[in-house]
Amino acid sequence: MTTDLTGRVALVTGAGTGIGKGVAVELAACGAKVAVHYNTSDAGAKDTEARIRALGGECMLVQADVSRKSEIERMAAQVIERFGGIDILVNNAAQQLNIELFEYDETAYDRLMHVNLKGYWQCMQAVIPSMKARGKGRIVFISSVHSKRPTDFDPVYAMTKGGMRMLCRESALELAKYHITVNAVEPGAVDVGKKSGKPRDIIPDEVNGDVVTKPRDVLLRKFPMGRIGLPEDVGKLVCYLSSDASDFMTGTAIRMDGASMLL
Amino acid sequence: MITDADSDSGEALVRAFAQETGANFILCGNPDGERMQASLACCRSAGVRAMAADPDLCSVQAVDALLREARDTLGPVTVLIHNRRRIEPIRVEDGDEALFLHLLDTHAKSAFVCTQAVGRQMAEAGAGSILFVGSIHAEKPTGSSFAFSVSQGALKMLAKEAALTLGRSGVRVNTIEMGPVEGDDERFRSDVSALYQHYRFKVPGAQLGSCEDLAACALFLASNKARYINGADIRLDGGFVLHYLDHKMKRDSQRQEEADRR
Repeated sequence: MTTDLTGRVALVTGAGTGIGKGVAVELAACGAKVAVHYNTSDAGAKDTEARIRALGGECMLVQADVSRKSEIERMAAQVIERFGGIDILVNNAAQQLNIELFEYDETAYDRLMHVNLKGYWQCMQAVIPSMKARGKGRIVFISSVHSKRPTDFDPVYAMTKGGMRMLCRESALELAKYHITVNAVEPGAVDVGKKSGKPRDIIPDEVNGDVVTKPRDVLLRKFPMGRIGLPEDVGKLVCYLSSDASDFMTGTAIRMDGASMLL
Repeated sequence: MITDADSDSGEALVRAFAQETGANFILCGNPDGERMQASLACCRSAGVRAMAADPDLCSVQAVDALLREARDTLGPVTVLIHNRRRIEPIRVEDGDEALFLHLLDTHAKSAFVCTQAVGRQMAEAGAGSILFVGSIHAEKPTGSSFAFSVSQGALKMLAKEAALTLGRSGVRVNTIEMGPVEGDDERFRSDVSALYQHYRFKVPGAQLGSCEDLAACALFLASNKARYINGADIRLDGGFVLHYLDHKMKRDSQRQEEADRR
């Protein structure tokens, strides 16, 4: 059974690449009108748009730097002007710099905090009025298993995800009175078509969909299902969290990692 | 090195460490304030040396400069206690960006900068203990100061990352998640969470925590008795966050409150 989001309007940040692209396409496949946000990945955003149009879906592109409140507000206004309001916000645009503890400087630290934490918060601020006016709303954070387990390759990334864990819980409590739900998805390693940041050894070298060329016994040491996640895995869960079926679910974080964090 | 040494908790930490360990101190806070003067007097009477300074703890340069100065006079830092607690009401819906960043920086960025600066020194020495005085609000939402909780969530993950990175150089990093103390019902007054209503009685033992409880826990974690504790979150709340059924609370009568006051 496909989740029905017909007539709903979704804003997906960072939808030009990776998980955000998969989420945007899955939401469109469920009938939602999708605002595809991007910052620098305009070619990727056009690809997301093409995929949605191929499904017969409706979408728009919107550019913004989510570390700046003024740009977030402009983005939300553009979406509301075009689609009449916003029902679903998927906070996904985040950075991972893969810098070690002693190598971080203030500029890099601030950049991550401003995009990953302040950005998620202010994107919510920008859509809450529209959701209030509509009497309900759905907000989904794409977080990470690293909201709870350290990365050992980017301490500030994990700090932003730890902060995001609390931002989700606080927002769920505060916005419940408006019938706005706030939930998080915590993916593990996901095949985003490229390695994020500098190379790291937790992602297998060769991944092509669910066909993995690493020896299966090597892969199983990190990934019990024999593969890493795909953007559409995350997208399908986001569709559920955006639908009426999840009406009583708020303030939760769902780990979606093929059980790799149990190892 | 103890940050915010001129706060209630800071004073208790200084007192305990001066009396029990004989350590020398770098005390961060207003050097000219009465409370810092009291902490310095406490150090003098315990026969230990101390310097007080008020650097911008979010500035790598300022913290590095303080550490260089301290190394010459007091020696390298062996224990860092990052002890900051600023609670301001702020809502998700209409919160102000400057206040959000202020709360985030006060708790998380300053901890990051201190961990980098002190951690580098400790890693070179191959030993050390870093303690973050955090909060139960790294897990439990406040319903009143979302930016405080966000900062505590970030702090908790910093501790875990640093426990890995610095742990390989003999440095332990732990978090004390402080629970309710007197006055927290006002500090965390909320219109969406009943967490702090009858907060004293939600502690199974019906007693709030104190700065002395914090100091005792910190003394243990900083000592060699805790040599195998690394990357841990020690919840210091008397069991407060385990509370579920109001009707089973120990006592919640006027009489009990009066008895407590006496």
